[in-house]
Amino acid sequence: MNREGWLMPYIRAHMGRFIMMIILGVLTAAAASMLMFTSGFLISKSALRPENILLVYVPIVGVRTFGISRAVLHYVERLVSHDAVLRILSQMRVRLFRVLEPQALMLRSKYRTGDILGLLADDIEQLQNVYLRSAFPGAVAVVIYAGVIAALGRFDGGFALMAAALLLILLAGLPLISLMMTARTQVRMKQERSRLYQRLTDAVMGLGSWVISGRAGDFLSSYEEDEASIARADRALKRWARIRNLIGQLIVLAVVLLMMTWSAKQTAAGQMDGTFIAAFTLVVFPLMDVFLPLSEAAERLPGYRDSLNRLEQISSGSCSDSRTEEALKSRRSQTAEQHREQGTADGSWKQGSRMASADIRLEDVSFSYKGNTEAAVHGLSLDIPQGKRIAVIGRSGAGKSTLLGLIQGAFKPDSGTVRINGTAAADLGEDIPRIISVLNQRPHLFDTTLANNIRLGRVSATDEDVRRAAEQAQLAALAGTLPGGYDTPMREMGQRFSGGERQRVALARILLQDTPVVILDEPTVGLDPRTERELLKTILRETQGKSLIWVTHHLALAESMDEIIFMEGGRIEMRGTHAELMERYPRYRNLYRMDRPGYALERELAKVGG
Amino acid sequence: MGRELLGLKGIRPVMAAMAGLTLIQTIAIILQAKWLAETVSALFAGEPLQEQYGTAVLFLSAFIVRQLTVLCQQSIAARFAEVTGTRLRSQLMQRLFQLGPRYAGENGTGSLVTLALEGTPKFRNYIELVLPRMLAGGFTPVLILAYIYTRDTASAVILTITMPILIVFMILVGLAAKKQTDKQMKSYRVLSNHFVDSLRGLETLKFLGRSRAHSSTIASVSDGYRSATMKTLRTAFLSSFALDFFTMLSVASVAVSLGLRLVNGSMVLVPALTVLILAPEYFLPVRMVGADFHATLDGKEAGQAMQAIIDGKSAEELSGKEQLKPDYTWKQGSKLILKGIGVTREESSQPSLEGAELELRAGLKVGIIGESGAGKSTLIDVLGGFLRPTDGHIEVDGQRLDSLSEAAWRKMTVYIPQQPYIFSSTLEENVKFYPPQASREDVERAVESAGLSSLAASLPGGYEEMIGGGGRTLSGGQEQRVALARAFLSDRPIILLDEPTAHLDIETEYELKSTMLELFEGKTVFLATHRLHWMTEMDMIVVMDQGRVAEVGTHEQLMHKRGVYYSLVREQEEGAA
Repeated sequence: MNREGWLMPYIRAHMGRFIMMIILGVLTAAAASMLMFTSGFLISKSALRPENILLVYVPIVGVRTFGISRAVLHYVERLVSHDAVLRILSQMRVRLFRVLEPQALMLRSKYRTGDILGLLADDIEQLQNVYLRSAFPGAVAVVIYAGVIAALGRFDGGFALMAAALLLILLAGLPLISLMMTARTQVRMKQERSRLYQRLTDAVMGLGSWVISGRAGDFLSSYEEDEASIARADRALKRWARIRNLIGQLIVLAVVLLMMTWSAKQTAAGQMDGTFIAAFTLVVFPLMDVFLPLSEAAERLPGYRDSLNRLEQISSGSCSDSRTEEALKSRRSQTAEQHREQGTADGSWKQGSRMASADIRLEDVSFSYKGNTEAAVHGLSLDIPQGKRIAVIGRSGAGKSTLLGLIQGAFKPDSGTVRINGTAAADLGEDIPRIISVLNQRPHLFDTTLANNIRLGRVSATDEDVRRAAEQAQLAALAGTLPGGYDTPMREMGQRFSGGERQRVALARILLQDTPVVILDEPTVGLDPRTERELLKTILRETQGKSLIWVTHHLALAESMDEIIFMEGGRIEMRGTHAELMERYPRYRNLYRMDRPGYALERELAKVGG
Repeated sequence: MGRELLGLKGIRPVMAAMAGLTLIQTIAIILQAKWLAETVSALFAGEPLQEQYGTAVLFLSAFIVRQLTVLCQQSIAARFAEVTGTRLRSQLMQRLFQLGPRYAGENGTGSLVTLALEGTPKFRNYIELVLPRMLAGGFTPVLILAYIYTRDTASAVILTITMPILIVFMILVGLAAKKQTDKQMKSYRVLSNHFVDSLRGLETLKFLGRSRAHSSTIASVSDGYRSATMKTLRTAFLSSFALDFFTMLSVASVAVSLGLRLVNGSMVLVPALTVLILAPEYFLPVRMVGADFHATLDGKEAGQAMQAIIDGKSAEELSGKEQLKPDYTWKQGSKLILKGIGVTREESSQPSLEGAELELRAGLKVGIIGESGAGKSTLIDVLGGFLRPTDGHIEVDGQRLDSLSEAAWRKMTVYIPQQPYIFSSTLEENVKFYPPQASREDVERAVESAGLSSLAASLPGGYEEMIGGGGRTLSGGQEQRVALARAFLSDRPIILLDEPTAHLDIETEYELKSTMLELFEGKTVFLATHRLHWMTEMDMIVVMDQGRVAEVGTHEQLMHKRGVYYSLVREQEEGAA
């Protein structure tokens, strides 16, 4: 249980700010209470009609001061607390990013479903409420509680104990009961809600099938039933919230009556001046505002648990890959961290220098994912000297992605070797991006300008370099139509930006990166044939002389590759040039004939002379 | 606030109840203050505690009555909010199903799902908050003020003057904050999105060798975001500062003025205490409105967004009247004729389909081909009844129809999209989608025909194995086979396919093709694709070009013709050279 991992260190690091927050919070509550206290005292004292107005001068000043200071204190308190929390969030973001960074290439396969990254970003936003809405009000309430009991203790120890017991119900009793009563329902509701989310997304994705099947009504009614069950749980929670409020208010009532009788008795016994009766009675109402919201704050706690668990899981590295684990371990020790930073700094001179050539050689490579007995890649040998272009074809699960991961050094082979210029790929680490660039199915375009997106390929690139890369990627015409040219923010391009154009931006980026090896990981999936063909032609033209490893699902243009590899079950089933494959394998001929139905006919037509 | 609330169904009795409860509540608040003041001043005057029990009990009852009315208001509001929210959601859902897949695709599945699932609770929350507050905000302060006038005019005047000042300041500060926020909206948005953007692009950054250096960018952008936010907050919080400041100042002024008048004897203690206790109550409703401002705004907007979809077009306009007889069957010799069919979408002036003339017999296999945007999908949508043509008409076995959005026509068709819908359920449930009452034997036969037997055998749970989002993920080819199994099982005579194989690798496509051809046996098939190899299997090819039917014929005929189809084929098969 290292759950504090995402909460406590930040409290420690910002202790000063937190103490400040609590002091301000306490002062705010105290000012509001003292306003009513001094007001009560003032009018009681005044009612005695003192001969000299100066006798009530102090309470008059007090009333005004407390009235004004409460507003000012509250304002400052909110600013200080938000500032502190935003500082914490900023550190959390950096930490999360650093935790995720070494796992970058594994994330997609590890969290197949859903937008885990968006979820984690939300989790961090969520954690600000732990501080602002639960921890902070709780701490303020505890201090106020202690203060009130101490103050009462000075008058009457026995009464102070009684008040302590009563207020403890508001401070801890009711919140705890609330937490226990609602936690399970909340968790269940959350689960049911996410199930509904799944169902509804399913249904909307499959809307066409539902409509055609004529069963839309079935779905709607069964969906409403599920919703009704959540609504029932929700109703129970709300009912409890109302009852809880009522209980809270009844305790307030009890405290008021208690205070009143106690101060009356004290007065009667001559222990206290009668002017304090009103003061002690009226102060109860603003004081209770500190305690009443605590139950709701407690009910929020289960909501944070998921977020914390997820962050904890990610950062504890319950991940499959050993490399990730190692990286994470080294991250934990501060010295290793510094060492690493130096390492990058030393390596930075290399960043500018371009790697001219890279020979990739895989020898008898086998690899299986952790917890999987079946090998994802088995006895694979492949030689890609600088400049060779290969196409990789295979079903999903044939081992294509694993092959790419091995070449990129993301996975260490269980047996055999993957070497780039004689060095094991897995040892190249941060040098890989200077050797290999990747264009995959969905390259990310960042929320910045077109030029900045391209420049990510080489940060030191001049405007002229960026422009040239864009022209090579055939983006010049598009940039010309944009309102701000290359400086147009990506988002403002909106719908004008098609799938093919997005790929061209990513292409310009890797052209700028200018590596000797380019991996194309199905970059044309989802594009229509014309766009696909034009994009591929641009890619093939502009990557002349570079090694090309192209994972594709059609044969279109594959025949112009130096070698075509068919993978199945982690092995290479067929390999050779287009001509060799045509000659040797009937299976390849069948596939080719299907991919090119016009090809045969065209020949016939040519024969007939049509 | 909330004018459209008054249009909600069943709001009148709810409002009446709220009004009654608010009145009782306000009276309770006043009495509670009065009796508390009386008790305290009696005690202050040195009267014995025992004699005050009567008034104390009155205070206690007023207090409890007040809390009970709050409870009643909340439960009435909650019940009404639940009913209203549920109704709105189910209307929204029905409307979504009427609008069909095209609408969902255009508006984003994610945002529609989020609206239905998260918008409803937000809207409900809004009603729950706003219903009790709406009347309390108007009634309670006025009644309390009126009472204070009867007890002490000077205090009442102070309170009366404060309220408008407070509201004006709140509005002014609010506007200033909004102006400032709007001004930095753009950079603000970029800053706040930067982190998610970086996480989503992590893989790309890694490929580019930029990922490690990027963490310092995150730190600096986050810091920039913090200072921008703090700048906005400094103004935004001023609004509640104004509220606090004027409220507290006003209470303090009342207290001091009461004190001074007590000193010179123009006032007695009981009314003074009463007024002092009532002063914060007078401001309470306004403070509540301020506190929940954002929650109510969110809920209101969600409600409006949902209502906008529901009000879009009437159900009549969307689905039209059923014209085909419910027992209509498409059989051997049936005929479908499209006459001058055109579709112009509201938002564009360019028709996506124009003057389509087609004559189709039962049992034909029709391939629909063309470039992206040529009108293939629109034609499939018209044939599937997802889209109502804006021009022309359709004849089915001689009967003239405005569209194919007919329940009887849908019963004849099976639809297989590019990514078939695998819902989160068992394999068996997924297969028997069209006829849910099908027997296990029938399911097994369909699975066998679709080439899924080996998958079914390899699953630990067999037919009971959960698949789809909540279970085992299937590959693209397996998903397509599930869709085929459904079609085999349904035995409906018309099959519509929209790019069924474009996303699959060529070997999977090759294997699927033979299964699909078996399925097509004896059926009427409409297959839209840009994979050319299907065309040689079709009895008739419809070539779409810029929203029009450019050519109709068989593969051989069209190749010989050397028209649009021929150049499509040539273009696609041209090599890299």
